[in-house]
Amino acid sequence: MRTLPLLATVAVLAFAAIPAGAQRAAKIPARLPDWSGLWVPEGNDTAISGLPEAATEARAEGKTPPPGGFNRPLFGFGAPWNEEGKRRQAARQGETANCRAQGWGFPMLMNADAPIQFFVTRDKVMILNAYRDVTDVRMAAKHPSEDDLWPTVWGDSIGHWEGDTLVIDTIAVKNPHDYFHGAPPLSDKAHYVQRIRMDKPHHLIDDITIEDPTTLTGPWKAHLAFMPAEGFERMVYDNYDNDRTECGTDSGIAPPKDEQKSSG
Amino acid sequence: MRYPIAGALALALCIPAAPALAHHSMAMFDQTKTVTLSGTVKEFQWTNPHCYIQLMVKDASGKDVEWSLEMGAPMYLYAKGWRPSVLKAGMPIKVTINPLRNGDPGGVVLTATTADGKQIGRNLSRAVS
Repeated sequence: MRTLPLLATVAVLAFAAIPAGAQRAAKIPARLPDWSGLWVPEGNDTAISGLPEAATEARAEGKTPPPGGFNRPLFGFGAPWNEEGKRRQAARQGETANCRAQGWGFPMLMNADAPIQFFVTRDKVMILNAYRDVTDVRMAAKHPSEDDLWPTVWGDSIGHWEGDTLVIDTIAVKNPHDYFHGAPPLSDKAHYVQRIRMDKPHHLIDDITIEDPTTLTGPWKAHLAFMPAEGFERMVYDNYDNDRTECGTDSGIAPPKDEQKSSG
Repeated sequence: MRYPIAGALALALCIPAAPALAHHSMAMFDQTKTVTLSGTVKEFQWTNPHCYIQLMVKDASGKDVEWSLEMGAPMYLYAKGWRPSVLKAGMPIKVTINPLRNGDPGGVVLTATTADGKQIGRNLSRAVS
């Protein structure tokens, strides 16, 4: 029996001697999940108006749109905001220049009504949306040191597999609300953990937990679900170069660019 | 009646299931009015953050007036079967819109059909009369 602890010790030492990359590789499933195709959040169907389909249908018939709308828990209305968080929420409600939307950024790219796609490889997972916002997930054990991190609208993401569940740990995200007006006003100290898996065929779920000592009293948990995007045989990218919205006013739609040039 | 965009946005943000917080507040459009326009396409702008139809419509005096009609982003239209090629300059179409509150010739497109009533792409899951 004395040989067992010895063998265990040898095994531990042998594992410790394996390069870090190889240790991580041991945790990668032999067969990576197939999440190919385009995915859209469940419960969001956008009409050609850019509004929810039910609201568009009601407007077209001259009726009052039904209550509710897009299913966007990451907007943060149910988050456990602390005093600073409440202050930021209040400031958000008083905004008029509500056109910061050159993309969705993190974490909103997971809760937009725009399609997303997953690229799953052994050493990396990338989640990409139609605005080319990306969550670039390294299969690494830890983030760079704080001194070597700089906040971005996408953050720094590392990941690992727990069976068929992809666990993504993201930090160093700039206040998402500064990038996209609909995003929650979290601080760049927020810590995001996503657990993504296919719970049944053609159905992905993402349980996300957000902790932010600056703006939240405790963990904020949200549940997202995705279904295959219909109507797409390719991702629809387009440059953001025709914003005719007169933001912060109710003055309407700016003239087409060619007319703006000729009048200016 | 005009009301401040800030008020409309504040209202939208106060509602937990915020309805339709799109690229911008929709307060500029009068959702209590639905207007049907028949006209000729001058230009179809397949662009972000919104697509636009520039539509030439004759007013009551018979004069051509150019309307700026906003739509969703290209990806939303694509999902509904729209492509940049579905509208060509000179094409007669009919649209239902919520018009701008300020009275300018513009609005947000709710449905669009060819002149003879065929749906362009898939506007809505069910036909709206």
